[in-house]
Amino acid sequence: MFRVVGGLTLVALAAGLVMAFGVAPREVTQGNVQRIMYLHVPSVWVAYLAFAVVLVASIVYLARRLDGADRLAHASAEVGVLFTGLTIATGSIWGKPTWGTWWTWDARLTSVSILFVMYLGYLLLRGMIEDPDQGARYAAVLGIVAAFNIPLVHFSVYWWRTLHQPPSLMKPGPGTMPGVIVAALMVNFVAFSLLYIYFVAMRVRLLRREAEAAA
Amino acid sequence: MPDNWGFVLLAYGLAAVVLIVYWRRLVRRERALEAESQPAARRT
Repeated sequence: MFRVVGGLTLVALAAGLVMAFGVAPREVTQGNVQRIMYLHVPSVWVAYLAFAVVLVASIVYLARRLDGADRLAHASAEVGVLFTGLTIATGSIWGKPTWGTWWTWDARLTSVSILFVMYLGYLLLRGMIEDPDQGARYAAVLGIVAAFNIPLVHFSVYWWRTLHQPPSLMKPGPGTMPGVIVAALMVNFVAFSLLYIYFVAMRVRLLRREAEAAA
Repeated sequence: MPDNWGFVLLAYGLAAVVLIVYWRRLVRRERALEAESQPAARRT
């Protein structure tokens, strides 16, 4: 099962690279640096997905006390932090040639940094509490509270004046991007979603084995 | 606007390194757990 998902992920990532560099056209205004979008946008999509899974799994854990839900929340938070870090780093690299600066404290960049720090805190909290049940309970509460930051991040570009552009894809109404760019993005969305599934499945299995070894 | 390929390579290179390092960390941890559990399984 792992090998199948892993193989599919590799194929999808290769297809994503072909779409990003071989099929999608050079963007007229920004030039080829715009190809960072095919990495940056799927990364933030995975971060949103991961933290939404943390929210649902945390609610399930508090309601039913299922260890599997706690492990899923833990694994998903870790992968979410990884992809949020990638989002910030690739955004910063993209920002330098297009905005003229690596970093600015505008609403989108600040809110996504807060999101990153909150889930980093979630992981630290889990590591700090020795009693696993108590750690899982506290983490579940934080996993629910921290999720309120996700809409803040997404809608920050509408609610405040920002340097960051509004979403081109994850928004209501008809799209404005050419079909080939949307197709390249979609392939990368699928590839990154598969990578998320692969990493989370591996991490959940590892957490289960660690719990069994500690018991 | 210039193409700035250096920034594109930096972004994709960084992502590749981070993802491979994380994957290798998971694989190593899994192998370490398997190695720890095998002597215990032999004793039982």
